[in-house]
Amino acid sequence: MAIDLVTSNTVFLAYAIITGALLVLAGLLLGLLRLSGRDVSSPLSTYRGWLIMIPIVLGTLLLGREATIAGVTLLAAFGFREFARATGLYEDWWLTGIVYLAIVALGAVSLMTDPRLGRAGWYGFFMALPTFVIALILLVPVLRNRAQGELQKVALAIFGFIYFGWMFMHLGFLANTANALGYLLFLVFAVEINDVAAFTFGKVFGKRKLREQVSPNKTLAGSIGAIAVSMLLPWLLWFSFPHFSPALLILTGLIVGIGGQLGDLVISYIKRDIGIKDMGATIQGHGGILDRVDSMIFVAPIFFHMVRWFNGAG
Amino acid sequence: MNTWKYHPSPDIGTSVADRLQRFPREPGMFAYALRSIAAVLLRAWMRFYHRLRIDGRENLPKSGSYVLVCNHTSHLDTLCLLSAVALRRIHHCFPAAAADYFFTSLSRSAVSAILINALPFDRKAGGARSLELCSRLLEDEGNILVLFPEGTRTTTGATGRFRSGIGRLAAGNDLDIVPCHLDGGMRAWPKGSLWPRPHRLHLRIGRARNFRHLDTSAESVRAVCADLQRCVSRLGGGRA
Repeated sequence: MAIDLVTSNTVFLAYAIITGALLVLAGLLLGLLRLSGRDVSSPLSTYRGWLIMIPIVLGTLLLGREATIAGVTLLAAFGFREFARATGLYEDWWLTGIVYLAIVALGAVSLMTDPRLGRAGWYGFFMALPTFVIALILLVPVLRNRAQGELQKVALAIFGFIYFGWMFMHLGFLANTANALGYLLFLVFAVEINDVAAFTFGKVFGKRKLREQVSPNKTLAGSIGAIAVSMLLPWLLWFSFPHFSPALLILTGLIVGIGGQLGDLVISYIKRDIGIKDMGATIQGHGGILDRVDSMIFVAPIFFHMVRWFNGAG
Repeated sequence: MNTWKYHPSPDIGTSVADRLQRFPREPGMFAYALRSIAAVLLRAWMRFYHRLRIDGRENLPKSGSYVLVCNHTSHLDTLCLLSAVALRRIHHCFPAAAADYFFTSLSRSAVSAILINALPFDRKAGGARSLELCSRLLEDEGNILVLFPEGTRTTTGATGRFRSGIGRLAAGNDLDIVPCHLDGGMRAWPKGSLWPRPHRLHLRIGRARNFRHLDTSAESVRAVCADLQRCVSRLGGGRA
């Protein structure tokens, strides 16, 4: 179902105002810090990154279902590209090519209408696609008659597809649900606020490390603070999904609060194992695409299945 | 259990702009695909819009690295030479392009690096560092370097004096240098004009020259330059 602009406009407007206000506030804060003589070059660069990203994301969501799915597909493809470039998988054009095609296929079945049920988004095919993609990836070493080092490449390709492709692209599939704009706006907003909260609480109160071998900068205080903020957000933004029961609001808060941080930590240990600092340098002040969407990759599929289970969407 | 060995791309952590400007570039699937499509379209455009005629294609070495040198009348020179090279070698054909012109903005860098496969040539200090880059490129098997030894586009139509760079690359090295001459480029796309006109182009490819018998002295370098300049002029029907 296409996003109904008439009924969703108020929700969109509310998010546009909230984000705008937060941006102005952050800008003023940075300005004040700068006037007081602090070095704000690093947060300023991050802030500029937000100024570019937020209008693009909001605009894409406003354009509707097709644009959202296309946007998530592009993000997934470029996110996987970063992963492939970081691990060395990018040298294998067959395997990376198959994963790119598979990601495009995920986008295509998200756009298609389910031929049996007549609903937007071919859910059954979306869920079945990994079977065929994994089978195809596993065939590559057989077809080129090579064994040495192939397991690692095949494993990386399957992981890259499942995590950065299939799991992340549940976010795009969410655009097919009845309350799509509300869900998507909330998720994007809450996941980013969760990140910012973890960072801020960690900076102010953080002493004990959360997982020092995975990500040395994350602290327990930051983590608890982020969960607290994330538990609060669904109540404050209840208008995004007015049909949610209080139990669902709590569940949503937990998924964003815990899932978001887990997604962050997953990318952290991947980077640490590889031995790199950032996944890329695509977004000014943020690193690569994966450094920005890491939390969303974890949150989107779990939130999607929560919605589907309790509301039968999609 | 042994840990996995990763091979992160050497340009990881650099911005898109930096990645386009660095050389050698990491081969990428998207860049190859775009370049291949661009090469086919370019050939069609050259053939039908400019009715490009190529003489002496058989003079291009079938294998190994070599250098194409050509008179420089317009941006079409590079495009013509790219159309003359075998399609399967297009990703190993590197036109040297002035870094201070072709790699100044993101969009220009993208076109130069992805579609043209240009080598950013630093014209400062006699191009010493870039020449070093060129000679390393040519040590590898199967690379083609496209060079315009005049260093800049002519405004008079006559082939200008060849700069010493090509001489320094060629003198005393077992390296094939193929002289070429393009006719009609200046009328088809004069300097300062935004878009090329549908004017006829004629590319003549001469026999490969090799200067391995020379030493690397300044005198030899000058001799190589003079020799190649003469070859290019002759191809264009000019006086020796």
